[in-house]
Amino acid sequence: MVLLSAPRWLRSRLTDRFWRVQEVLKYARHFRGRKNRCYKLAVRSVRRAFVKSTKARREKKRFLRALWITRIEAASLEHGLKYSAFISNLLKSQVELNRKMIADLAIYEPKTFKSLAALAQRRRQEGFLAALGDGKEPEGIFSRIVHHY
Amino acid sequence: VAKTSLTSPPWPEVELPDPVEEAKYHAEVVQKVNKMIATGQYGRLFAVVHFASKQWKITSEDLIMMDNVLEAECGDRIRMEKVLLVGADDFTLVGRPLLGKDLVRVEATVIEKTESWPKINMHFWKRHNYQRKKIIVNPQTVLRINTIEIFPCLS
Repeated sequence: MVLLSAPRWLRSRLTDRFWRVQEVLKYARHFRGRKNRCYKLAVRSVRRAFVKSTKARREKKRFLRALWITRIEAASLEHGLKYSAFISNLLKSQVELNRKMIADLAIYEPKTFKSLAALAQRRRQEGFLAALGDGKEPEGIFSRIVHHY
Repeated sequence: VAKTSLTSPPWPEVELPDPVEEAKYHAEVVQKVNKMIATGQYGRLFAVVHFASKQWKITSEDLIMMDNVLEAECGDRIRMEKVLLVGADDFTLVGRPLLGKDLVRVEATVIEKTESWPKINMHFWKRHNYQRKKIIVNPQTVLRINTIEIFPCLS
């Protein structure tokens, strides 16, 4: 409201208190108890609700990642692999699916997940063979086998 | 020589199959899959696409909503190039990390460009008379995946 002279300002009264109160109460309508009706209680509850929702938006990402990891662990155990082996071998075979996708595939595309598990298992075995090497002793080092002549 | 705890590795001993025979088997499988793709014996295809820094599992006639702006007008056809995985009922093609552009083609159309619902960011410290409230509205884009096509150029 535009009040054009000083006498008008001094005699002004707050006329849109109802709408200012409704702005806060509309966010509290689904709360339990008197805080969905009484403004003084609602202000505090609504403020806490907003702050909790901002913090929860950051935690949701952590929570969902943990959920996906749990699901991938369960699915890979069904195929005889642990989560650590599965993920590390998939990454070593240059398959860059993220955990959300692998969890979705494990739920909706079981055959695809089985083939991914087989890929990871095969890469794991190749890694073991590569780690064993030739099976010979390294050069220039005394063997622990002592020959008595 | 006496056996100690370190003579054999802690994992069970595995033998890999013969490389020559394996190569033959692989070539056979690749030819079979190529034939299947060429004759069109697959049902509905699904693909895993990397788009807008997220990975999506999509099929045809799918709706996708991204939380950012796309520089295309509504009604533009878009080809998504970073395809990580394509699968049907009987076979899957896994990219390492991406599949070739001459192998898969994913087409989408931009349907809608709107804003998200007003999200409220609030910070409040009790007993310090500190509160900040900010309303955040993100632009959003909705895409419809029209088709996913594969071509028989495996080797």
